[in-house]
Amino acid sequence: MSEWMIQCRGLSKSYRKGATVVTPLEALDLKVPKGEFLALMGPSGSGKTTLLNLLSGIDSPTQGSLVIAGQEIAELSRRQLTAWRARHVGYIFQLYHLVPVLTAFENVELPLLLSEMSKKERHDRVATALELVGLGDRIHHTPTELSGGQEQRVAIARAIVADPPLLVADEPTGDLDRDSATRILDLLRGLTRDYGKTIVMVTHDAKAAAAADRTLHLEKGQLLENPCADF
Amino acid sequence: MRRFLNLLRLSWIQLTRHRVRSLLTILGVASGMFLFTAVETLQRSLTRATKATAADTTLVVYRENRFCPSTSRLPEHYADEIRRIDGVREVIPVQVVVNHCGASLDVVTFRGVPPEQLKRFAPEIEIMEGSEEAWLERDDGALLGEVFAQRRGLSPGDRFDAAGVTVTVSGVLRSPHVQDNNVAYVKLPFLQQASRAGLGVVTQFNVRVESGDDLKRVSERIDEQFDSGQEPTDTRPEKAFFAETAKELVELIGFTRWLGVGAVVAVAALVANALLLVVRGRVKENAVLRTLGFPSRAIATLVVSEGGMLGLAGGGAGVGLAAAFLQWQSFTMGNEGQTLAVRPDGWVVIVGIGSGLLLGVFSSLWPAYQAIRQPIVHSLRH
Repeated sequence: MSEWMIQCRGLSKSYRKGATVVTPLEALDLKVPKGEFLALMGPSGSGKTTLLNLLSGIDSPTQGSLVIAGQEIAELSRRQLTAWRARHVGYIFQLYHLVPVLTAFENVELPLLLSEMSKKERHDRVATALELVGLGDRIHHTPTELSGGQEQRVAIARAIVADPPLLVADEPTGDLDRDSATRILDLLRGLTRDYGKTIVMVTHDAKAAAAADRTLHLEKGQLLENPCADF
Repeated sequence: MRRFLNLLRLSWIQLTRHRVRSLLTILGVASGMFLFTAVETLQRSLTRATKATAADTTLVVYRENRFCPSTSRLPEHYADEIRRIDGVREVIPVQVVVNHCGASLDVVTFRGVPPEQLKRFAPEIEIMEGSEEAWLERDDGALLGEVFAQRRGLSPGDRFDAAGVTVTVSGVLRSPHVQDNNVAYVKLPFLQQASRAGLGVVTQFNVRVESGDDLKRVSERIDEQFDSGQEPTDTRPEKAFFAETAKELVELIGFTRWLGVGAVVAVAALVANALLLVVRGRVKENAVLRTLGFPSRAIATLVVSEGGMLGLAGGGAGVGLAAAFLQWQSFTMGNEGQTLAVRPDGWVVIVGIGSGLLLGVFSSLWPAYQAIRQPIVHSLRH
């Protein structure tokens, strides 16, 4: 079995905007070993979020190869990609994106609704995920009754409840105060350390990036470092 | 199946936790379905009253070229001649007096019949309250059809007057024939005198034939019999008689079908609009669900099931209220002495609720398509 969680070679993404073709990501090579906590930094428009979208399977590359957990993503149909995403990727958004009318429990339960799990099994999984992020006592609270940090922890519980090997986080601390941000980063580190999750985190914050095992910098759609040189 | 039920539960949560929006939409759907049910009930009641069936064996003999009970005058002794015609099982002379000859929503129809012949002519009549003996004992006694009694709130012992005739309620009857349930049966001589029609003169004869196949032959035979007399007759099956006599009513009710169509279109537009607004308000939420691994068909299922639930709830409420209202009010439409009881039946309720559900589902198809057509990345930037 491969030691790599992510392997991309010559990865490009371009799209049309009016008459011009925009290429936010160009011929990018990247390898991320399993269990690594990787931070991606770079100015706005450098292609960080585009790369994250490709890694999470919510967008498709225009060119190049992208292999995640041994699966070439380009070979999957749209339906297969959706099913693959449900099993392999947990996405953590900057603004949490919890469903406002659902409780913390119900929000975390969402990824499991399309599985064949029994109600009890779902309940146990959700309770465990919420305990893990330290919100076992807030399961019946709606997002409006939670602080920003608590909302992000619910979002992390939602991302890990289906036990995906890869977590992608788009500026998970960008909307939080320093204390809350520190707790979230500790939580993410714990997920790598204790549960072997591979995490790719986009951030503008150097302190947040310092929590990661490795930091790469993107500019104009290309990595400034040679990410494959270390391996 | 488990996944589908989970999606239904999620839709249910969305509806119940957006209470005001859901209730307003349900109220709108219920209003439309109330109108639809009222119209459909009218149409069904009319169909029941006018559509001939093989089981129909009743003919109505009326004065030729007369359309109102007050102008149809036939000699009572025609009954004996009609009774002798081959194929006639029973005949009963009827004096009809109505409080309103034109179209009305509250028609009071008195039918004067020879008291000893009523049970023989219509053995299917069942006395629900009071008794036939009490009716036979009093000259001014009246047996009320149950719909009429319910509408007017009358019970045995009560007195009421209409069209210048004052009677005492002796009993309340139920009959499988719609017309019987909407009239007041009184004694023929009493009504002839009270209405100043005069003894020996009746409005019509109701004739029961041996078999439904005999209707045409017997009706032609009756009209031939009196063709050269002073008072020629026009004989038709009871339902055809109703359709012809209450022609204006039939046309009016036929027109209401368009109101029903309008109600259905309004409900469809309302649900579609409500769900389009919902979908637009949830662009990012749906994109997040898709990011979490919800396939497009699951998102579409969520939208369509919300539409279905809104349609079902609104349809159920509208149909239920309309059925209860029409049952309680016991409306009777009448024209030229013919009465049409506007009463809902099980079929109308089933069609109404089913229509609500289907309208909700079909109206949400376009919003469902809108919910899944944008790429996830675009929707997340929304």
